[in-house]
Amino acid sequence: MSNPWIAIGALAAVSLVIPLAMIAVSALLRPSVPEQSKRATYESGEVPTGDTRIRFNIQYYMVALLFVVFDIETVLIFPWTVIYNDAVESVGLGQALVPMVAFIGILAVGLAWAWRNGAVRWVRSPRAQRQYSE
Amino acid sequence: MIPLQAVTLTDRILNLIGLDASTAGPLVVFGVSILAAGLVGTFVLLNTAVAGPYAKRKITAAFTDRISVNRIGPAGIGTIVVDSVRLLSKELIIPEDADRPAYDLAPILLAGSALLGFAVIPMGSGIQVADPEIGLAYVFAVASIASLGLLMAGYASNNKYSFLGGLRAVAQNIAYEIPLVLTGASVVIFAGTLRLSEIVAAQEGTLLALGPVAIPNWFAFVNPFAFALFMAANLAEVGRNPFDIPEAPTEIVAGYQTEYSSVYFVLFYLGEFIHIFLGGAIITTLFLGGPAGPVLPGIVWFTIKIWSVFLFTQWARSAVPRFRIDQLIALGWKVLLVLSLANLLLTAVIVGVIA
Repeated sequence: MSNPWIAIGALAAVSLVIPLAMIAVSALLRPSVPEQSKRATYESGEVPTGDTRIRFNIQYYMVALLFVVFDIETVLIFPWTVIYNDAVESVGLGQALVPMVAFIGILAVGLAWAWRNGAVRWVRSPRAQRQYSE
Repeated sequence: MIPLQAVTLTDRILNLIGLDASTAGPLVVFGVSILAAGLVGTFVLLNTAVAGPYAKRKITAAFTDRISVNRIGPAGIGTIVVDSVRLLSKELIIPEDADRPAYDLAPILLAGSALLGFAVIPMGSGIQVADPEIGLAYVFAVASIASLGLLMAGYASNNKYSFLGGLRAVAQNIAYEIPLVLTGASVVIFAGTLRLSEIVAAQEGTLLALGPVAIPNWFAFVNPFAFALFMAANLAEVGRNPFDIPEAPTEIVAGYQTEYSSVYFVLFYLGEFIHIFLGGAIITTLFLGGPAGPVLPGIVWFTIKIWSVFLFTQWARSAVPRFRIDQLIALGWKVLLVLSLANLLLTAVIVGVIA
């Protein structure tokens, strides 16, 4: 059998060509009527105010940090799931299962810690909190 | 000529033109693969073309008791052509102060990455572009490139709605990706391999026979709990109700795609639908026996199965109200993650005790 990654590279080329071809076709078809006010960003019909690149809710960072932890964990779990069936046969249930139970247990403790410290609780800014309680 | 084990479409075409798949030069293989990839890409885009401008409207109309498109062609099927020409010939308006390279790259990235996942999906009748050993990990990896595209779109548009939508999209995608991948891993425990063709092969045979009705050995029946978890996490991954908060039209206009028009909007729309079908293809491969089915050829069964998953997402879209962002984060991290960890361990224990 041929190297599968060559075929995947070919599909990558195709999946790059398709959007680019669509853009090219559209460039041939579409009109261009430049006009300054047209390009204003949409803010429900009002004149846009202020900058868009502003400070935002810290919660998004917390979730992203947690994601990194658990994503690496899934990378470590995958090889274990592949060999698990054979491992049970060759070294027995205890040696195949217990280390992973311990590993996931440690992660569960980590999740419980993050949970308790409010990393997965949606925080509101003081201003939003005031508006919410009114 | 053709070896007994499952062969990919690339190898089949190589055999067809009289070349040995294991000795052919990389350039020849690449050329042949372009052909195979073009076939698969056409198949996916055909499904998307029917789903996006036509089936979606008709299905939603059926749920909400309306008629929907019916003017052009029989039952309005000509709408597909008319709509694509209409959308492609719209003027492209780029907002002031948009972050140019990122603004232009985001739609290409989104549509392209969605298509990439189909490289390793076994579609039955021998249609599979490539079959690498780590197929499942590859699918999950390329499916999550979309988050990057969404963040780029949201940040580069210089629009506050887009910005919020992009942030929400990423928070949601990463929160539900872990339950998705962990539940996928619980299937790997049964199959003992990441190669998608072998995962499909592991689902052959009968689980139990109830008189004349034989329940197949699909992992959806072997482990229905994992199946339910995976369906829920997949709905969130493709951003459909009840998890459509990244583009919640009543809250933040259209989320990350607010400022996109013309062909860029088409690419976003296309990417979303390819993603729904990619989600359906992963569910089909992992839980519904891949292209297995009686009488009809494999590719037909594969199409039926991915369309069933599509129908399910559209049903949820019409029937289920939307979550709030805080409920979404809470559900993802406090419920689905815990349940998927429990599912993984329980599966391991059950498989270990039986084996």
